[in-house]
Amino acid sequence: MYQSFIGLEVHIHLVSKTKVFCGCRAAFGDEPNTNVCPVCMGYPGVLPSLNIESMRMGCIVAKSLNCRIPEKTWFERKQYFYPDMPKNYQISQFTSPLGQEGYLDIEGKGIKKRVRIKECHLEEDAGKMIHTGTVSLLDYNRAGVSLLEIVTEPDMETGEEAELFIQQLRRMVRYLGVCDGNMEEGSLRADANVSINLPSRGLGRKVEIKNLNSSRFVRLGLNYEIRRQGTLLDAGKTVTQETRLWNQNRDQTEQMRTKENAHDYRYFPEPDLPVFTPDAAFLKSVDDALVELPVPRMQRFEREYALTGEQADLLCDEKALADYFEEAVGEAEKCSMTKQDGAARIANWLLTDIKHILAREGIEISAIGSFTLTPRRLASVVAPVAQGQVSMKNAKQALETAILEDRDPQTVIKERGWEQLTDPAKIAEAVQSVHAAEAETFAQIRTAIAGGNRKRQQTLTAYLVGKVLALTGGRANPKIVGTQIEALIKQ
Amino acid sequence: MTLPEGFLSYFNAWEEKIGAFIEFKRDPVSPCAEERGGIPSLKGLPFGVKDNIAVKHFSLSCGSRLLENLRAPYTATAVRKLEAAGAQVVGKTNLDEFGMGSSTDNSGIKRTNNPWDTSRVAGGSSGGSAAAVAAGLVPFALGSDTGGSVRQPASFCGVVGLKPTYGAVSRFGLVAYASSLEGIGVLSDTTARCRAVFAAIRGKDPMDQTSQDAPDSAPPLYGEGERSLRKTIGVLSAETIAKALEGETAAQAATLEEEVRRGFESAKSRLAGLGHTLLEVELPSLKYGVPAYYTIATAEASANLARFDGIRYGKRPDWAENPDDLIDKARDAGFGAEVKLRVLLGTFVLRSGFQDRYYLRAQRIRSGIRQNFEALLGNPENNGPCDAILMPVFPTRAFGRGETSLSPFAQKAADLYTCCANLAGLPALAFPVSIEGGLPVGVQLLGRAFAEGTLLDMVESYEQAYPFPRPLGYRAFWS
Repeated sequence: MYQSFIGLEVHIHLVSKTKVFCGCRAAFGDEPNTNVCPVCMGYPGVLPSLNIESMRMGCIVAKSLNCRIPEKTWFERKQYFYPDMPKNYQISQFTSPLGQEGYLDIEGKGIKKRVRIKECHLEEDAGKMIHTGTVSLLDYNRAGVSLLEIVTEPDMETGEEAELFIQQLRRMVRYLGVCDGNMEEGSLRADANVSINLPSRGLGRKVEIKNLNSSRFVRLGLNYEIRRQGTLLDAGKTVTQETRLWNQNRDQTEQMRTKENAHDYRYFPEPDLPVFTPDAAFLKSVDDALVELPVPRMQRFEREYALTGEQADLLCDEKALADYFEEAVGEAEKCSMTKQDGAARIANWLLTDIKHILAREGIEISAIGSFTLTPRRLASVVAPVAQGQVSMKNAKQALETAILEDRDPQTVIKERGWEQLTDPAKIAEAVQSVHAAEAETFAQIRTAIAGGNRKRQQTLTAYLVGKVLALTGGRANPKIVGTQIEALIKQ
Repeated sequence: MTLPEGFLSYFNAWEEKIGAFIEFKRDPVSPCAEERGGIPSLKGLPFGVKDNIAVKHFSLSCGSRLLENLRAPYTATAVRKLEAAGAQVVGKTNLDEFGMGSSTDNSGIKRTNNPWDTSRVAGGSSGGSAAAVAAGLVPFALGSDTGGSVRQPASFCGVVGLKPTYGAVSRFGLVAYASSLEGIGVLSDTTARCRAVFAAIRGKDPMDQTSQDAPDSAPPLYGEGERSLRKTIGVLSAETIAKALEGETAAQAATLEEEVRRGFESAKSRLAGLGHTLLEVELPSLKYGVPAYYTIATAEASANLARFDGIRYGKRPDWAENPDDLIDKARDAGFGAEVKLRVLLGTFVLRSGFQDRYYLRAQRIRSGIRQNFEALLGNPENNGPCDAILMPVFPTRAFGRGETSLSPFAQKAADLYTCCANLAGLPALAFPVSIEGGLPVGVQLLGRAFAEGTLLDMVESYEQAYPFPRPLGYRAFWS
C-alpha cells in the first residue's frame, strides 16, 4: 500500500462590487465587453489601483482559515502570454501573500482532520476566450475580477477528504458573505495535486489535476489518479511530473503538459502598487466581519438545542437559515416555550413545511432573511400549537394566509376565530345539539359496547367528535369534545 | 482666440526642419499668458505632450509602428491638470520608441532634428518635446524621464528639463517602460514656466497609488525667496569621476568631452559667484549605476511591453494561424530593434534561478546608490551636508548621425550621470549653461526628495544672471 499526499489550490471569486484594480462592475454574466475600461483592458499608460474591499474580503477568509496576516503584504507580476490576459501578466502575490500558515479542521462523514493552509493570496482573474469555427472571440468582463487563491499543504490522503475540504470551505466562504461558492459557474474552482509513495518515504512525484469543476470531480479525479499512480509504481514504473486534465465524460485524467513545458513565470514585485501595510482600523474591520463558522455552529446547535446531527447539518448549510432558526427559537422562548421544545418544533417546521413553501414560492434559502414570514411570525404560530391553543390544521392555514397577505399570523388566527375552543360550556352546547340530532348513533354505540364491538364503538365515537368539530368550524378542542361525548354515552 | 500673428508660418518653417511633432492641432489657441501675483499663469498656453502620454482623441503611438494608429481613449492625470489650469494640448511630440534611446532616432514614426544644428539629434527619448520648446513652437512640453529622457534632450537643445521626485507627479497615462524608475517631467523655455507647470501637475492621484503629495517638511515650491538662496552644492569633480570609473570599460564613454567639461567648469564658477558654497563629494557606487539601471529597466520593460500583442489595439497581422501566431507576428513587425533587444534582455535577467545574479543584485546596487545620495543630501527631515549635487547631464553635446554618431553601447554607458537620479528617485533639474562650438551644454542639479522648490530657486537665480541662449531664428510668442 502506498501513502498518498493531496494538496489543493482553490480559487474563489470575491463578491466585491468592483474589480480588484479598477472601478468596473465585477459582473461577468453581462453582454460581452461591457464591464470594461482602459485599466482592465490593459490599455497603454493605465495603472492598477488596489480595491481595499477585495483586500478586506481576502483577509476575512485568511483569518477564518486561522492564517497570519503579515505586517506587510505586496503584489508580484506573474508573466505569461495568453490572449484572455490583457496585460500578458497577472498581478498576483508571491513572496508575501495576505494570509500565511493557517489551517482548516475538516469534520464529518467519518473524517476528522486538520488541513494546513499554506497561504491565501489575492490576484486578478483573466477574461474568457471562446473558439467558434475559424474565429476566437474574447470577453474581458471577467478580466480583473477579484480572485482569492487558497493553497493547502499536501495534508489530505483521499478524494473523500479533498471533497469534504472543498464542501466545508465552500460553506465557510458563503457564511462569510465573500463568495457565492458556485462551482458550476466557476465562482469556486479547484486544482489538485497528488503524489504517492511508500509509507514514510515522504512526498512522491507530484501530478497536478485541473478542470475539477465540482467537489464530486475533485473526489473522482483524485481517486482515479491515486489508482493510476499506484498501478504505475506496482509495475516498477515512475510517475511523470506533469499537469493532467480531468475528463468528466470519460471519468479519467489526461495529460495536459509535462514539466519540461512548464511556464517560467518570471515573478518580480509589481512596481505600480505600493506595499500594503494593514493598519489597526483595517484589521478591526476584518475582525468585525468574522462570524461563527459552520462546523462550530453545527456542534453548538447539537449541544445547545439538543438537535440531531442531521438537523444541525441541514440548518447550518446556509447561514441565513441558521440565523433564522436561532432568531425564531428566541421568539418562541418569548412566547414562554422552553428552548429545547421551541428548537425541536421550529427545526421541524423549517425543514419541512417552510422549505416546501420557499421552494413553491421560488425563494432561495439564502434569502430567507427577507421572507415575509419573519422568525417572530413563525414563532407566533408554533407556540400556540405547542400550547394547545390552535390546531395544527388551523395553524398551517394561518401560516399560508399570513404569507399570502403579508400579515402577522396571530392576527389572522384572531380575526378568523381560529383559536381552539376550550370553554367546556361552549363545547357542551355543540355537543348537546349533536346529541339531539344523532340520538340514533348514540344508541348504536351503546349497543356496540354491550356487544363488546370495540372497533365499531371507536368508529362511531370518532364520527360524533367529527360532527362536533364541524359544527364549531374545527375550533373545538377535540380532547374536551371526546370527554363530553363519552360522558353522554354513559348516561 | 487666434494664434499669434505670424505663428503658423513660423511653426511650419521650423517644423519642416526639425520634425518635433507626430501630430499637431492647428486649431486657434489663445496666445496670452496672464500673471497672477507674480506667478505666471498657464491659461491659454499651448503645450506639447510626448507621444507616450495619453491625451484623449490624440495619437498614442509611443513612437512605435505597432501603435501608429492608436488613439488614446482617456487622458493622463498630468495633462488633465494642465487643461484644468487653462493650458491646451496642441500636439504630440516624437520620441525614441517607448522611450528607449538617447537620440529620438529610435522612433518608428519619424526623424527629429536638433534646432541648433539640424544634422544632429535632439537627444532622447523626449527629443520631440525638447526640440519643440527650443525652437519656440510651444512654451513648454511634457516628457518622461526613465534614465535621463527629459534632462538629456533638454541639455542637447538648450532648454530647462525637470525630472521630479519619484511619485511627485502621477504616472497615470504615461505608457510604462520602467515603472519604478520613471515619471512625467517638464521641458520649458524658462525656469519660472517649469515651476508653474510642475506646480500644476504634481500631487497625489488616486489613479496612481505610487503618487504622493509633498510632505510638510519639504521646502515650498513658491516663497522661499532670496533669503535662503545661498546653498551648499556638492560637486563631482572630473578626477572623482575618473577615479570612480577606474577599470570600467564603459568609463571611456562616460568621460566628458572637452566642450562639456568647459561648460561644467563655468557652471561651477558662476554658481560659486552667485554665493553658493561648492563642496567636493564622491559617489562610490557611481560605476555600478548603468548596469543596475539597465537590468531593472529592461526587466520591468519586458513585462510592461507584454501587453502589446495586437489583440485589443494596435497593428495586427492580416492573418494568423492561432492566437500565439498572431501575437508573434504583431510584435515581430511592430517593435523596432532596440525595443526587441531590451525586452529580450529583461526576459533574460528575470529567468527563474537567475534573479539573484541579475535583478536582485541590481536592486541591491540601487539601494547602495540611494544610500550614497542620502549620505550627501540627507532627507526632508534631516538635511545632509549638501542642499544639491551638481553633475554633468551627458558626456557629449548633441551628437550627429552616421560617422559622428555614438554607438548604441556608448549611448547607454553615457546614461551614467542621469540614471542615478532615477535609481534614487530624486528630483533633478537640467538647465543650459553655455554654448560650446555652436551647441548648448547643460548641467543638472540633484536635490532631496520633494525639494524641487530648492532646485528651481537656484536655477531661477542663475537664469536671472545668465539668461538662457536661444537658437538662431528663435522668436518668443509667449510671455
